[in-house]
Amino acid sequence: MKVLIIEDDPDLREIMQKFLTKEKYIVETVANYKDALIKTADYAYDCILLDIMLPDGSGLDLLRKLKEWHKSDSVIIISAKDSLDDKITGLDLGADDYLAKPFHLSELSARIRSLMRRNKFKGEMLIEAGNLKLLPDNHDVTVNGKSLELNRKEFDILNYFLSRSGMNVNKSDLAESVWGDHIDMVDNYDFLYAQIKNLRKKLKESGAGIDIKAVYGYGYKLIEE
Amino acid sequence: MKLVNRVITRLSVVLFIIFTIWATMFYFIIIDEINDETDDALEDYSDHIIQRFLAGEQLPAKDNGTNNTYYIIEVKPEYATVNKQISYSEDMMYLESKNEYEPARVYKAIFRNKDNRYFELTVAIPTIEKADLQLTILWWTVGIYLLLMLAIIIINAWIISGNFKPLYRLLEWLKHYEIDKQIPPLNNPTRTTEFAELNKAILQSADRNNEIYEQQKNFIGNASHELQTPLAVCLNRLEMLTEDESLTDKQMEEIEKVRRTLNQTVKLNKILLLLSKIENGQIPEPEDVNINVLIADLLESYRDVFDYKSIEVSIRETDTLHLNMNRGLASAMFSNLLKNAFIHTTTGGRIEIEIQSDWFVISNTSSVEAPLPADKIFERFYKGNNSEGNSGLGLSLVASIAKLYDYVISYNYLTKKSMHSFSVAVKPSPRKG
Repeated sequence: MKVLIIEDDPDLREIMQKFLTKEKYIVETVANYKDALIKTADYAYDCILLDIMLPDGSGLDLLRKLKEWHKSDSVIIISAKDSLDDKITGLDLGADDYLAKPFHLSELSARIRSLMRRNKFKGEMLIEAGNLKLLPDNHDVTVNGKSLELNRKEFDILNYFLSRSGMNVNKSDLAESVWGDHIDMVDNYDFLYAQIKNLRKKLKESGAGIDIKAVYGYGYKLIEE
Repeated sequence: MKLVNRVITRLSVVLFIIFTIWATMFYFIIIDEINDETDDALEDYSDHIIQRFLAGEQLPAKDNGTNNTYYIIEVKPEYATVNKQISYSEDMMYLESKNEYEPARVYKAIFRNKDNRYFELTVAIPTIEKADLQLTILWWTVGIYLLLMLAIIIINAWIISGNFKPLYRLLEWLKHYEIDKQIPPLNNPTRTTEFAELNKAILQSADRNNEIYEQQKNFIGNASHELQTPLAVCLNRLEMLTEDESLTDKQMEEIEKVRRTLNQTVKLNKILLLLSKIENGQIPEPEDVNINVLIADLLESYRDVFDYKSIEVSIRETDTLHLNMNRGLASAMFSNLLKNAFIHTTTGGRIEIEIQSDWFVISNTSSVEAPLPADKIFERFYKGNNSEGNSGLGLSLVASIAKLYDYVISYNYLTKKSMHSFSVAVKPSPRKG
């Protein structure tokens, strides 16, 4: 799986490269618009991570060029501008997703995975982990072909974990994703514990080959057995 | 006090003093001159009579058609030596022409003829005429005094109000000038150098103020914007670090604490960016937002947290509240109000929400059972006593959004219920036509 990172900040570029390499992607990086044009014209990538504000041009122009050349590379826009206008323009120009800075690496990974899955299954979303299958659009989970009953929160939590399997999941990130942005008002995430406990119990009872483990002081991690 | 009135008042006081002194002096100088002239006339007349008398010529007729009167008596040499040769006095005189006594200016001269006999000549002019003259002069002086005062005041008022028109136009313009709006055109033609310079100076100052204001506004936006990438790098490096299997539990816990603080910084930064956007007017088109639905959605996502803290939430909807605003901002505004209520409600507390067709109220119990300073709580970085999980920007953001859409946001303390209450009211829109 080939990924191109177009990002002018050397620090962020380095860390994204390190992380994605660790995630078993083949990663290439460029730091400016000119180099990005050359790379994208010559090669095909499974995913392009595109910073909109580049020192010598706009990422949106690059998107236009890609469209002109009929390239089918998937593009995730990464922008410090958390503005709706940019997001809409970017998505209109054929970008597949939009991620605002600052973001979590696990979030980036989840977005890339989701994008890859969508391409692989031609638009139909399906997440597989061992004998468990999850269809996000249908709110449907099956273990060994048998349906698993989950409430909405449990489903959202499982979905969140599955798209970040093998990674440490921070409890506050999980809470914000499942309960909404403003959940940060609580200083204690104990209410999460009850939901996770129920979910683990249901997974175990259904014979799913996955488990959610606690990471001390930090959060949880989904492990395929 | 208006400038014209002030100038006129001052002028009147000064003129009153100066004119009074002038009129008094004028009157007394004239009167003095009249007395002097009278005395001169008496002296001339007496000289004329004495000459004739000594030359033995015929004296003027006593009844000569004027009111002047004279007589000559012989006096003893002793009398002549004792009395002054010439003397003036105010006296009652018998006027033959009038056949009665009247007050008169009297001139007495003692002289001697060639036979060494002494005579005293008495000449008199009735003062009645002089008094008439003096009275006339007094009246005219007073009349001119009043007339002059009035004329000067009226002329001054006219000139001032005429010449100060550019000043009043400039003041009117200043009233319409707002720092965060475009500078209105200043149409204030004047030939007065000072006013022309004032026009120029004020326009320049307005330009400069706007520029500084713009810079200030953009500075916050740019600063928060530039912080995004370094913050992302920090967060991501920490995240990478957590994947390291050799970390101890203790180290993981520390990393989590740093991460949490960084996350707060990210949130703070986001709010600052949003505030800066609101102040710069970079807000996408408004749409119709059903607040009842929005609140229901928010409450649904908060339910677990509210339950966890055993907070009882009650909602009373008497009508549907529709607001024409940006959906993102509506969500930010109401979730911040909810969040504010949540943060300050102690475990087992109560939150009450009321929605009407033109207002929204949220009240909460709190450990602080006294009114908060209503003028301070909407200020940026006001935190009160409870600062945990509180950026100090939430209510400020709410106030900014309310201001943007002209909503009235207010705080009340409900003493009976011991609840802090925040309300958002839609101003009655001005009727068209």
